[in-house]
Amino acid sequence: MDERDLRLDGNAIAGMLAEVFRFDMTVEWSGCAACGARNQLGALQAYAHGMGAVLSCPGCGQALLRVARGGGRWWLDLRGMEWLQLDERARMPE
Amino acid sequence: MAGGALLGRLSWRLGRVAEVRLETPRVASLLLDVPGWEGHLPGQHVDVRLTAEDGYQAERSYSIASAPDGRRVELAVERIDDGEVSPYLAGELRAGDQFELRGPIGGYFVWQPGLGGPLLLVAGGSGVVPLMAMLRHRSATGSSTPARLLYSSRSLEDVIYRRELERLVAAGDGVTVTHTLTRAQPPGWEGHDRRIDAAMLKEVGWPPGDRPLVYVCGPTRLVEAVADDLVALGHDPDLVRTERFGPTGV
Repeated sequence: MDERDLRLDGNAIAGMLAEVFRFDMTVEWSGCAACGARNQLGALQAYAHGMGAVLSCPGCGQALLRVARGGGRWWLDLRGMEWLQLDERARMPE
Repeated sequence: MAGGALLGRLSWRLGRVAEVRLETPRVASLLLDVPGWEGHLPGQHVDVRLTAEDGYQAERSYSIASAPDGRRVELAVERIDDGEVSPYLAGELRAGDQFELRGPIGGYFVWQPGLGGPLLLVAGGSGVVPLMAMLRHRSATGSSTPARLLYSSRSLEDVIYRRELERLVAAGDGVTVTHTLTRAQPPGWEGHDRRIDAAMLKEVGWPPGDRPLVYVCGPTRLVEAVADDLVALGHDPDLVRTERFGPTGV
């Protein structure tokens, strides 16, 4: 097994993302700040780890979203994402 | 949003095991009663959370196998021998046991009849589970969307839902199932016996010009190889949806 085997899709961390954003993020669209590709978050590559996950661009590998949880806090790093669009229809009920 | 995804609740709730069904030596189906379940879309998953006596929690995602019209939520769990969660779910759980879950989750890897087709479904091992929900839903709704399933398993005894897939094909309403057995083949096997490759996808799948909706689910390597092959064959990347399961499986 190599690191490639651990790659998942944005779909795989939909539950965690929904805890933070309260939207079904898998259907939401984003733009890559490096190559400009627009993708739904479900189509992004995901690497999950003990503290959280990284979502990266399937086209160029740019890290678009880093999320980590610890000590009662969530940490978000969205530097690699040029824009993120949230569709009200994907807002999740409590 | 693809077809208007059904949004599940974020809160954890208890599902009660109504039945455990052994599908293969490594895979068990769990039929669950989930109070207040509002339904789901074919392809969605649930998060399952187990809590140890010392408070340690482990979460995993499992695809929903049942069609939305069913009364119960059906999952399939492949037992990973050194796993934290699956040996319990696929080995120790009995009818009447309860565990926490939330969902349905994920509107991206979803198919409904309204999205049309034709459909090409490509599965590796337990990656067939969300695709089975699509085929079951297609059948239950009387959809005439042509659907082809290409399904890679280690051996015939590892094929999940084998009898039901035979019945779906026998119904003669537009479903084909092509197996490839990558490690062991029964005597006289005349089907495919290698990993899914471009030649197999070309033979089994639809021409790119038909603009099929493609859903690929399985271990990460298989999914990525298949997705690359499909794009190389000329399929529109926007029509190819993938769900990687990680390092487990075939």
